[in-house]
Amino acid sequence: MEVLKEKVEEEEEAEREEAAVRAERGEKVVRPMEVQREEAPMTQEMLRDLEKKLSDIEMAIPEKLSTFTKDTIDISKLPLSYQSNTLKEEHLLQVADSFSCQYSHLCPDRVPLFLHPLNECEVPKFVSTTIRPTLMPYPELYNWDSCAQFVSDFLSMVPLPDPLKPPSHLYSPTTVLKYQEGNCFDFSTLLCSMLLGAGYDAYCVNGYGSQDMCQMDLTRDVCPLTVKHQEVVQEEEKVPPKKYAIKPPRDLTSRFQQEQETKKQEEIKAEEERRLREEQERLLDVEKAKTDPLHGLRVHSWVLVLSGKREVPESFFIDPFTARSYSTQDDHFLGIESLWNHKNYWVNMQDCWNCCKDLVFDLGDPVRWEYLLLGTEKSHLSLTEEDEDGLNDDDDMENLGKEDEDKSFDMPPSWVEQIEISPEAFETRCPNGKKVIQYKRAKLEKWAPYLNSNGLVCRLTTYEDLECTKTLEIKEWFQNREDMLELKHIDKSTGLNVDYFKPGHLQALRVHSYKSMQPETDRIMEFYDRARVDGLVKREETSKTMTEYYRGRSDFLSYRHVSFGDRVKKLSLNSAESNPRPIVKITERFARNPEQPADEDVAERVFLISEERIQLRYHCRDDHITASKREFLRRSEVDNKGNKIVMTPDMCISFEVEPMEHTKKLLYQYKAMMKLKNEEKLSRHQAWESELEVLEILKLREEEEEEHRLTISIYDTKRNEKSKEYREAMERVMHEEHLRQVEAQLDYLAPFLAQLPPSEKMTRWQAMRVKDECLSDFKQRLIDKANLIQARFEKETQELQKQQQWYQENQVTLTVEDEDLYLSYCSQAMFRIRILEQRLNRHKELAPLKYLALEEKLYKDPRLVEFMKVFV
Amino acid sequence: MNWLYDSVEPRVMDEDMLKLAVGEQGPRDEAGQLARQEGILFKDVLSLRLDFQNILRIDSLWQFENLRKLQLDNNIIEKIEGLERLVHLVWLDLSFNNIEAIEGLDTLVNLEDLSLFNNRISKIDSLDALVKLQVLSLGNNEISHMMNIIYLRRFKDLRTLSLSGNPIAEEEDYKMFICAYLPDLVYLDFRRIDDHMKELAEIKHQYGIDELKQRENLIQAQLDDERAQQEELEEHKASFVERLNGSFLFDSMYAEDVEGNKLAHLPGVSELGLTYKDKFVIVCLNIFEYGLKQQEKRKVELDTFNECVQEAIQENREQGKRRIAKFEETHLLSLNAIRDESEVTNLEMKVAEHSKDITELFNMLMTLEMQLVEQLEETINTFERNIMDLVALFIENVQSLMAQCRDLENHHHEKLLEISINTLEKILKGELDEDLPYDVRALFVDKDTIVNAVGTSHDLHLLKIDNREDELVTRTNSWCSHLVDAIHKDEIMRNRRRVKEIHQYVDHVQNELDNLECSEIID
Repeated sequence: MEVLKEKVEEEEEAEREEAAVRAERGEKVVRPMEVQREEAPMTQEMLRDLEKKLSDIEMAIPEKLSTFTKDTIDISKLPLSYQSNTLKEEHLLQVADSFSCQYSHLCPDRVPLFLHPLNECEVPKFVSTTIRPTLMPYPELYNWDSCAQFVSDFLSMVPLPDPLKPPSHLYSPTTVLKYQEGNCFDFSTLLCSMLLGAGYDAYCVNGYGSQDMCQMDLTRDVCPLTVKHQEVVQEEEKVPPKKYAIKPPRDLTSRFQQEQETKKQEEIKAEEERRLREEQERLLDVEKAKTDPLHGLRVHSWVLVLSGKREVPESFFIDPFTARSYSTQDDHFLGIESLWNHKNYWVNMQDCWNCCKDLVFDLGDPVRWEYLLLGTEKSHLSLTEEDEDGLNDDDDMENLGKEDEDKSFDMPPSWVEQIEISPEAFETRCPNGKKVIQYKRAKLEKWAPYLNSNGLVCRLTTYEDLECTKTLEIKEWFQNREDMLELKHIDKSTGLNVDYFKPGHLQALRVHSYKSMQPETDRIMEFYDRARVDGLVKREETSKTMTEYYRGRSDFLSYRHVSFGDRVKKLSLNSAESNPRPIVKITERFARNPEQPADEDVAERVFLISEERIQLRYHCRDDHITASKREFLRRSEVDNKGNKIVMTPDMCISFEVEPMEHTKKLLYQYKAMMKLKNEEKLSRHQAWESELEVLEILKLREEEEEEHRLTISIYDTKRNEKSKEYREAMERVMHEEHLRQVEAQLDYLAPFLAQLPPSEKMTRWQAMRVKDECLSDFKQRLIDKANLIQARFEKETQELQKQQQWYQENQVTLTVEDEDLYLSYCSQAMFRIRILEQRLNRHKELAPLKYLALEEKLYKDPRLVEFMKVFV
Repeated sequence: MNWLYDSVEPRVMDEDMLKLAVGEQGPRDEAGQLARQEGILFKDVLSLRLDFQNILRIDSLWQFENLRKLQLDNNIIEKIEGLERLVHLVWLDLSFNNIEAIEGLDTLVNLEDLSLFNNRISKIDSLDALVKLQVLSLGNNEISHMMNIIYLRRFKDLRTLSLSGNPIAEEEDYKMFICAYLPDLVYLDFRRIDDHMKELAEIKHQYGIDELKQRENLIQAQLDDERAQQEELEEHKASFVERLNGSFLFDSMYAEDVEGNKLAHLPGVSELGLTYKDKFVIVCLNIFEYGLKQQEKRKVELDTFNECVQEAIQENREQGKRRIAKFEETHLLSLNAIRDESEVTNLEMKVAEHSKDITELFNMLMTLEMQLVEQLEETINTFERNIMDLVALFIENVQSLMAQCRDLENHHHEKLLEISINTLEKILKGELDEDLPYDVRALFVDKDTIVNAVGTSHDLHLLKIDNREDELVTRTNSWCSHLVDAIHKDEIMRNRRRVKEIHQYVDHVQNELDNLECSEIID
């Protein structure tokens, strides 16, 4: 403790100096320690008192601020460990109290430590025991980022009752999870529990944060989803010039002129840059926040993850509200009072005048971090060999100075129940499945899957201005859609809608960008080409053209461009609905077919349909720079005798790189032309089919948008109705089967065997007696049953006879209704009698058989069989 | 059927007959009209049918270079001949003829379907060249020996075979045998072979097949070995140091050396010879390894050179293509503009403008080409210098190594001479203990004889070494000069081709313009 004292004194001295420095600087920031100076030496009672008062105050806080008080918590159902302290915990509390006492004595100018707030049952619990390291059964929660995201999504934030003080209550993580509400301490305790469970070296931190952070105000932050990934331009590695690389031709341009040009360019650039900078500065001014009068005093709690475990290369902070990670040098974190994990508690003895930037997180260093319990965590000594001796001496001295009880004491186990998150809760995530986060110029809304009937899970709205009034663009993410829609991007400024689909859409759609769903307007559809038979990758449409890109086709078609003309008004009305636009021109491009020589492999084919011309361009040979061309005029002409001219040399104009003999022949040209004519027909047909397909897709999309059916995985037992029904049916069947089996296993002998003395071997005589008794009993039952039926039968007949008698006596006086009544009674009675008679007969028939069956069964009974054998 | 041949006169396959057949089987309707107009060249014909023509002798088919399918069935052909030029033939039908032996098919490597149904063939052979054979029809022939089937094992693609109507088809084991020995066969005698049958056949003939396979594998392995050796030798030859990786040269020195061999019987000479051989072989190995290393170096040099030249050419070609593509766009536009222009002065102006464009394109392309030529010339010269240096260095080093060989030989010679003279002295003194063979003893009559004998041997050895050295040097030099010549020639050819291409293209473009002009003027 002496060392501690010295340290404190030193620090104080340092502080004074710094204070002087700061005064010079005119810094307005008040250090957290200084504020509390008046309250300095605080006794245990005072603390308790204060806490009580605080809790009283909390009670009075209006509901609006925090509905999450202990009133709403059902304490009665909580386990015993929540409602009382064990001996060890009591002991720990004492240790903590004395520590706190000494601390406040030694550092009178610092705020009291956050050591043992009350839990939901008003029982003081040490903060470290509130952490319950738990590894979640969800693989998604194995890494810190997803854990933090989950915590920030799952809980809704409640501000601290007093933003300048730590809370008086710290509820268990289980309660927090149950009510899905909490302040920053609840957040960080839960997150810390999960991270420790996942193997991270995590700590809860009690410290001071910026206003934005404490109030979870993200309006000045850029939404992480809007940040575009900056494409890393990979610099192409310059290949060292090879030995025989040719020398470039000599550069004959004037160097002076070039210099003048670059000078001019630079001037223009500088001008532009200046303008941009000014613009940015102006913007920054607008965005700059008001200075916070309570800057540096706002209490916040967050999580520190130290490097070392789980391959964390560098220590960092996690803000549990936003789930964002910050470096330990970040401006948002203004100071640290103390930090703790499930094993120990450390008080920061370093100065925080420069926020957390100068802090060293070497928890083994007792000068910087004063620990509460000794000997639990020593692993953080990051010292070199020579320093170690000196430090060990220090340690020893300190150990001597410590009270004895500290030495052998380690942290009691957590009083908190196992943290459990049900799969439903895990899936729903946000409280009530919905969460809204406001960012700078953006609003992010999240929903649980299946909450919205159209599968919407996330919506990001980006605004043009800071006040969020002018919408710039909307991005909507969907899940579990039957039409595989994944993301819908609406750009308000251009009116462009882009839909992104996952693989599996009925028409293999991948991206669909459009301005309106009307056909024959501007749109681009991209497809999963491997899912399509025709290998279509992309189809672009404007009002007059349609361009299609293909990949991986056996005919090497890679591009088709169709230009349409104006629609001709048809005279006949009956075919009005199918009036396709006339095709003016079809351009098709083909990839190189390696099996054909380049001179015969068509690269581009243009059908000028209105001009009745066909142009062919062939591929270029490997060592040539020009490609063959051919043009066909397919006007059919008639010569002066009236005969049709089949082919004339001027109907085919061709340029050949290497003139060949056979291509000059008219026959060859004629055949080529005939083939092309056929292909033109095919291409026109395909263009027409493409148009139809567009219409079909648009119709399908509209239907899908209206229906927005969701898919349910067959493994999702909760939602999948079909599987649920099936499972229930199966269960029913199983149950019935079970009943039947029980019946089948009914033991006839049991009651008789029970009469025998237990655990003795049956004698033969006994066996015989058991058998006989069983049989006689069965016989008796059969007889009883027969008698019963007989009795009922007789009773029925007697009744009937009575009625008949009565009827005959009063026949004259009876009304029609009574007569009807009587008649119906008669018929019913007769029916009953008949049934009884039948049953009796049946019984009489079956009884001997049943008797015999039982006898046989008894003969074969494993318990009796040995005796019976002898008997037989 | 024989009476038919007797009654009808055999016909000769002549030009007229072929023309008629081609005309009949050529295109119909409008295309036929055109075909008649301009005639059909025989080399354009892909398929020809000449059945029921009573042809006795195949003839005059050499013009049908591109023929794919030829039907000569139902004739009276007796010998397969005159088909050597039809290398593209895929389908050949010679059924219902009088052929007695398979022959004359050695050039038809593309043949897939061969029908020799109903002939008089008794032996399957001379089909080695038909590696792509899939269908073979040999029904109704006179094949009587089962071993003919084994010959068919070499055709890996053979799927259909018909042999019915042959004497072997009568044999009881016929089907089983074929199924067993031709396991890849799918159809036999127009019926599909079922798997059950295959299994049975395999079991039945397992031993025979295994033995056969073993033998085939052995032969195959031997062939592979030989090929590998041949390849290695070729590689060494390319490095000009073949057969220097052992005692080949040394052995060849002694192969014709009668005296040397005789002298080996002298006491102490054999030991001397052994050490000499060891040393000699070590030097040879040095030469060999050095040669391989140098060859590697030359190869790397040549590869980098080729790569660079190719890169340069590709780059140049891309530039050219870009220019042409750009030009083509403007070309089309201006052609259209000219076509639409009605004003004569404007028209002329536009035409002039466009022809200027064309000239510009021509100049541009030619500049590019000339630039490339210059660049390549420089590179080629550098390469030439380097490769010459390499070769000179190689020769120099080899020569010095060869000198080592010669030194060894001289040394050996001296030693041998010493021993010989000693032995002579001993013999003259009668002190020699050992018995020498008679012919060796004959050398030791006087000093001159023995010195001469040793000298002859020595001269012979030196001659061998010199010869080997000369051979190496000349071959290396000729390789070098050939290489350089070829590179120069290639470059010149490339240049000429490109210039021709540019000219052709520009002419074509100019023509288009001129034609347009003409038609305008006519209009």
